[in-house]
Amino acid sequence: MKIKKGFVLRDVCGEKVIMGEGVGALDFGRLLCLNDTAAFLWEVASAGEFTVDSLAERLCQEYDVSEDQARSDVSAIVAQWQEVKVIE
Amino acid sequence: MLQSRFYNVAGHVFEVRADDSADVFWLMDNYRPFEEISLPGGVPAFSLEVACRAENVEYAEETRQVEESQEIICGKTLSGQSVFEFHCSGIKAGVLVCNEGFRDGTLYLQQAVDLQRFALNNGLMVFFALSTALEGTALFHSAVVVRDGVGYMFLGKSGTGKSTHARLWRQRFSDVELLNDDNPVVRLEEDGAWVYGSPWSGKTPCYKNARARLGAVVDLRQAARNKIYPLRGIEAYLSLVYSISGMRWNRSLADGLHATENRLAQEIPMFRLECLPDENAAEVCYEGVRNF
Repeated sequence: MKIKKGFVLRDVCGEKVIMGEGVGALDFGRLLCLNDTAAFLWEVASAGEFTVDSLAERLCQEYDVSEDQARSDVSAIVAQWQEVKVIE
Repeated sequence: MLQSRFYNVAGHVFEVRADDSADVFWLMDNYRPFEEISLPGGVPAFSLEVACRAENVEYAEETRQVEESQEIICGKTLSGQSVFEFHCSGIKAGVLVCNEGFRDGTLYLQQAVDLQRFALNNGLMVFFALSTALEGTALFHSAVVVRDGVGYMFLGKSGTGKSTHARLWRQRFSDVELLNDDNPVVRLEEDGAWVYGSPWSGKTPCYKNARARLGAVVDLRQAARNKIYPLRGIEAYLSLVYSISGMRWNRSLADGLHATENRLAQEIPMFRLECLPDENAAEVCYEGVRNF
């Protein structure tokens, strides 16, 4: 998977928010607020291709969580991103 | 012979060059209050050459913006120049070609005088927004009034009644002046945020070369009663984003606009006014903003 072109992570009044600003993302009529974990994962995912496993691995390195917990957290966040179509 | 004139809008000076036989400057009445005798040192924010001839500019379309009967098609040439084609009621009125960095470019005008004026204003607005986006400057879609030296900006989608609300303020309070009815400029400066008049003001001829300290921003919604409340955080930020012109698919310009919007959302008192088109709305608005 990868993040679709045109979506950017912004700090808006102290909150982390995904905005659609690029050519392919202009119809994204909403914005998506991210918690710290999701914002961290977005930064990792911005680097290019990713999978649930690759993100979970990075999450374990960064935070003190079990592998199972990391995979379940990542799955939930990635599912949300798929639902609002910011990744492909 | 190519003639050159300078205009100062919100402290940004730009140059317009045109053949003096082409009557281009004759079309620019609304720019006269902003004219500078010469360039006051340094380089202009941008320099635009206006050519009155049809030019077949080849480019790849990236996106288009449609508002009522007006359409702007945006794209890029093979060599990386940004292209904006302006259409009015389906007729092509002009093509703007900006060189990389948005410091200079050419506007090709075609067709009748009315369409030329339309393309000139749109071309200069687009160029102005692009060349100043990194300088804490934003071109808004808004109506602005001034009372006691303080500027109050009204935002809202087309047809919400921004101009109407500005008119109601002037009816309700005798000391209120209109600064701009459609496209004011906001600039973050060392001593705070200022709102400026501009040569662009929609259907109302209000081209004032003046500024006021930005006191409050009010986002309007039509409603069955008058009610005002503060807007904060993301909600405040979004109402600014929707009211600011600019090309957000260029990452550097988008970053510049974001920085301006984010600061305004946190530094300027912002409100939502649910309102009727009556004088009481002006009173509710002013009292709400003043007692904040």
